[in-house]
Amino acid sequence: MRIVVCIKQVPDSTRVKVDPQTGTLVRAGVPSILNPYDHYALERALEIKKHHAGTELVVLSMGPPQAVSVVRLALALGADKGILLSDRAFAGSDTWATSYALSMALKKIGKVDLILCGQMAIDGDTAQTGPAVAQQLHMPQITFCDTVSVSGRKLTAKQYIDGGYQVVEAMLPVLCTMTMPHDYKPAFPAFLNIMAAQDKPFETWTAQDIGADTAYLGLEGSPTRVDRIFAPPPREKGQVFEGSAAELAERMLEILRQENVLKP
Amino acid sequence: MANLDTVSRELMLDSLKEYAKRRLPFDFLRENDEKNRFPEEILREMYDINVMGIHLLLIPREYGGLGGSTFDIYRVCEALARIDLGVATSVFATFLGTDPLKVGGTEAQKKHWMSRIANEKLLVAYAATEADAGSDLVNLRTRAEHVIKNGKLVGYKINGNKQWISNGGVADILTVLALAPGGPSWFIVEKTADGFSANKHEDKHGIRLSNTAGLCFDDIIVPADHLIGEAEGQGLSQAQAVFGYTRLMVAAFGLGAGWEALETAIRYSQQRIQAGGPLSEKQGYTHKLIVPHAVRLTASRAFIEYVANRLDGGEHGLQTEGAIGKYYATESGNKAAEDAIQALGGYGYTRDFSPEKIKRDVKITCIYEGTNEIMEMTICRGRWQEHLKSRGRFYVDMAAEMDALHAATPDVGAEVAACGLRALAKVLEECRVQKLTRHQHVMFSLGSLIAEAETAAALCKAASEKNISPTHRFDRDTMRAMSRVHARETAFNVATRGLKLVSGSVTEGVGALAEGMELPKIEARQHGNTEDMDFIASKLNEYCKAK
Repeated sequence: MRIVVCIKQVPDSTRVKVDPQTGTLVRAGVPSILNPYDHYALERALEIKKHHAGTELVVLSMGPPQAVSVVRLALALGADKGILLSDRAFAGSDTWATSYALSMALKKIGKVDLILCGQMAIDGDTAQTGPAVAQQLHMPQITFCDTVSVSGRKLTAKQYIDGGYQVVEAMLPVLCTMTMPHDYKPAFPAFLNIMAAQDKPFETWTAQDIGADTAYLGLEGSPTRVDRIFAPPPREKGQVFEGSAAELAERMLEILRQENVLKP
Repeated sequence: MANLDTVSRELMLDSLKEYAKRRLPFDFLRENDEKNRFPEEILREMYDINVMGIHLLLIPREYGGLGGSTFDIYRVCEALARIDLGVATSVFATFLGTDPLKVGGTEAQKKHWMSRIANEKLLVAYAATEADAGSDLVNLRTRAEHVIKNGKLVGYKINGNKQWISNGGVADILTVLALAPGGPSWFIVEKTADGFSANKHEDKHGIRLSNTAGLCFDDIIVPADHLIGEAEGQGLSQAQAVFGYTRLMVAAFGLGAGWEALETAIRYSQQRIQAGGPLSEKQGYTHKLIVPHAVRLTASRAFIEYVANRLDGGEHGLQTEGAIGKYYATESGNKAAEDAIQALGGYGYTRDFSPEKIKRDVKITCIYEGTNEIMEMTICRGRWQEHLKSRGRFYVDMAAEMDALHAATPDVGAEVAACGLRALAKVLEECRVQKLTRHQHVMFSLGSLIAEAETAAALCKAASEKNISPTHRFDRDTMRAMSRVHARETAFNVATRGLKLVSGSVTEGVGALAEGMELPKIEARQHGNTEDMDFIASKLNEYCKAK
């Protein structure tokens, strides 16, 4: 079996600030990390690999040359092979153009049984790229998965839905996008494994390498137009009332009536 | 297999930081600091090759390690120091403890011991210091006598005491310096040896998470093959051989601890509103408590990296350079931590905030691995020889190099750094002519001036690089502003303090020396300093944002 996990290098958005004047992100001093959803997807793929001897786990990323560090991290955590799509032609791609590039790379990789993607990247929060890759490859997809397991050619996924989850089965090949538990702590590699990752197969592919039509790449090939970026206005402070329980209950009733929640 | 590349190194640092975030939060450190407790479980876990295996960096590849370069190990030491200097010291003790083996061990010894240290989560200690033998090992009293059986040397009987040994009470393996019949020699002693005992864990001012203990050796018998190198009398040269390298690691400790304290102060200053604005925007605060330390720590890093790259390039020794790095970075880190307390005001004086602990911890870096006064002496002795050998050209040539740098890159302050170096050359020459090095005070003070002048040159070079080392984290303009500020300060210091030093030690006036010091030029080049400091202060706030 061959599994491909699509991963992205993102700024650690918990540490990014928005410049109030320009509305742009202040990136100075902010470290880049492996998108946590992708990290989780990778760990799920490693778990499948552990139970299925002979599985090849490939990680695929697109980004500037320095994105090699997230590919290397994935290799240190146990992936077998890394591929980085890096080319000026990819710069400025929106989620559709990115999914086109990724799907072309996936075609070049050859027979793939399972594709795992993070639900979304924490820098853009669109959750579009994974589904769009499945679309471009005409492959079935299951989004918002918590866990996945494979038995023979059958995949079973626990998929979150409004108010709970459902268990979905699909035949391979299939693409799943993975969400992550709120208390998820990404695994980090031991030093020996980091060293060993240096010698694992790693390739950088250009647009030409994957046979992509540059008209569908970069800013040019991106249908999305960003109108403006701004920080949402801060939420107004809530009102705080003090008093005895009876007084507060009375106050609440009054407000509920004012807001027409209760009949006057 | 190739050496570790930059990506791997950064991933290792990430793993270390992530581990610390989970296992070594401030409350844990604070509690252990209060209880004076060595967290042995943490160290064993850090040495678990399936969890982290930090110790593998110092073990050569052929024995199951990673063969980390000096640069790799400096970066890891810096990161450790930012977490906790006690834990860092314990890891460093293992690094140090294996050094005599690395430098002087036979192939069989290295294979046996290094493989064990790599794989068995062993704690190691380096036992050289004694009550009467610190930096001066001439009074070494621990003895190793021959044990002869059937006319053949089969082992050594070790007797004596050691003091201030990091990991002393917890190490599984110790490398012990003892006086054998053939001279000072290193022996490997296992803690299970009959007759070995450790005293109580010292109640220290700082680095309270590291175990420090005195050791007793009472008729301990070790087999003959536990003599490192299997030749007696090599001990001192084996110890000396690694000073350039080990002192650089202590320099990295000063650097890491200093930055950790300083960044805490920078973040605090953005949130502390007084008199209508945050402290981070008040010159009286930033230009005294923040900016000078950021500049000196940046100069320290530039110098450490300059030396690390030379060692990794195959040069040996570099003892003077190691001493300059250690002296300057630890003095800078210590002062930065001191001022971080001041910067946090009343909060800084409580144990609820990290600068209080960092300050107590970082002080040790000015003391161990040779006190900073020993560093001043080592620096002066080393460069005095260079001054004599080159007939006074050593610093004149370095100044010429700075002038050439200034011609190519006029905005790093290399011109004023050159003034400082020429002033230094003049001071040294005057000291030679007037025979002033007979005053120990003069010698040691020269060591300090030399360190200042050379770090200025290193920072000028680092700031003018086409690709500035990403470890600095600052952009080109910030680096160059820092380089200018540092060059101005050090040139002024070298000239004025040098003059004072000579004037204070001679009977006649030093008019000619004063005239040759280029003081008017150094003064003129101070122009723009406040503006540069304003710029650095604003950049520091950008790079180090409050959460």
